[in-house]
Amino acid sequence: MASRFALPSLTPVARVRGVMGERLFYGLIGLVAVVVVWEATARMGLYKQSLMSLPSSILRVAIEDTTNGSIWPHIWVSAQEFALGFAAALVVGIPLGLAIGIFRRVDYTVNGLLAGLNATPNVALIPLIILMFGLGLEAKAVIVFLSAFFAIVVTTFTGVQATARRHLEITRSFGGSPWLAFRSVVLPSTLPFIISGLRIGAGRALVGVVSAEILSANVGLGHYIALKAQFLDTARAMFGIILFGLFGLFIGEGIRAVERRFEAWRPELH
Amino acid sequence: MTMPQHLALSARGVRMEFRNRTGNESSGQTLVALEDVDLDVPDGAFVSLLGPSGCGKSTFLKIVNGLIRQTAGEIQLHRVAKGREDAMVFQDAALFPWYSVTDNVAYGLVCAGVPRKEARKRAQPYIELVGLTGFEDRYPYQLSGGMQQRANLARALAVDAAILLMDEPFAALDAQTRELMQAELLRIWNAARKTVLFVTHQIDEAVFLSDRVVVMARRPGRIIADITIELPRPRALEVKRTQRFVEYEDQIWRLIAGDVRNAATENADG
Repeated sequence: MASRFALPSLTPVARVRGVMGERLFYGLIGLVAVVVVWEATARMGLYKQSLMSLPSSILRVAIEDTTNGSIWPHIWVSAQEFALGFAAALVVGIPLGLAIGIFRRVDYTVNGLLAGLNATPNVALIPLIILMFGLGLEAKAVIVFLSAFFAIVVTTFTGVQATARRHLEITRSFGGSPWLAFRSVVLPSTLPFIISGLRIGAGRALVGVVSAEILSANVGLGHYIALKAQFLDTARAMFGIILFGLFGLFIGEGIRAVERRFEAWRPELH
Repeated sequence: MTMPQHLALSARGVRMEFRNRTGNESSGQTLVALEDVDLDVPDGAFVSLLGPSGCGKSTFLKIVNGLIRQTAGEIQLHRVAKGREDAMVFQDAALFPWYSVTDNVAYGLVCAGVPRKEARKRAQPYIELVGLTGFEDRYPYQLSGGMQQRANLARALAVDAAILLMDEPFAALDAQTRELMQAELLRIWNAARKTVLFVTHQIDEAVFLSDRVVVMARRPGRIIADITIELPRPRALEVKRTQRFVEYEDQIWRLIAGDVRNAATENADG
């Protein structure tokens, strides 16, 4: 895979594979360490097991709820809400960010609106959105959209404005069209910024999913966590939280893959 | 107005004014960057524009290239049947970091509307000519400064323009690499049979490379001397240690010394 995109003399294929193994190895060490300390401190009675649960109990309920199938609808619904809202944020946010970066008048037109929108805490909008869109998927998708959208717009237009003048000058010097300059200069130099926007946006979108589901839902991981916590089933509440963590990890890896596909031209930092 | 067939470039009365942006329209000072510049460059000649910082030599090059428009005066370039009349070799950071060497070299052709695949094919001989064979798939960050400037040169050569405009292409290189690149440039110039207009502030570079050194002064930017360099060709780097060479250097230094000192103290002030 790696060899198709970049063959840096500094990081030959063998080393790239080594690095990937290393990443996984140290990642697992970190995970195992936390789990061991958690379990040990609980068993030593350093805190109430009913408040934090135990890794072993969480594992037990995790196996239970996945084998009897009761967790799947929650995961599926949350994933749908996230996917729908996040996709909408991409489809609207990236073109809008590009337009703001390129056209001064678009910038002036939407600047105030965006700043206002950004200053409004999304949680404050949730009751209103539920009123408008109901208790179902649509309302949650809208909340996810609003949570992710702003980060994507801002990073995208910042990226456009960071385009090197020298690079734009080259296209002009050789008589290339503005459209070519957009494709061959603006887009590639903005891409790292867009990817940062995806990262930040995805994090906020997950927060959006949880907040909306905790506040009002009868299905979804946020609802699952809130419900179990109410019944003092901390093992299941923790399981829900861990599932969110895994979800975030999964999305992060997805964005990493996109990044690697498009940014073979950038040297690895370590 | 027509110009003689044997000329690649003919400039008459070129004047460039910049308005000082700090003042408002009425009180803003006008800076005369170029005043009445007349210059003829014969077909196949290697002509250098030499002068201290701020003498307008790079501005003149940009006017010829069409990146900026002169306030007054006329520029005529030798018409060619197809493609561009002129091609620019930029000073630094002039390759797209997201493109491989081949795509960078092919870019001028892509700007001219050549399909990417064909442009890449047509770029290949120029990659060979500048000595980058084997580095086609490398990205700029994987190349040394000298190699980057070879690619920069190949991109300008590949569009097969009648005149090459070179804007201090070796200024960012270390002294040894610069010497090597000067010799390389003469080899390539000899092989490609191009007209070159070369901007530099380095006296030895101008004398070594050129048939003619056009000396400029600042405030306002203007031509103060046009010196024919009668050193035999082909020239090797050893020529720099000959009596004749040193005399040329002396002659030019005496022409610009006062200006260089003024420029240096001004820069120290502000």
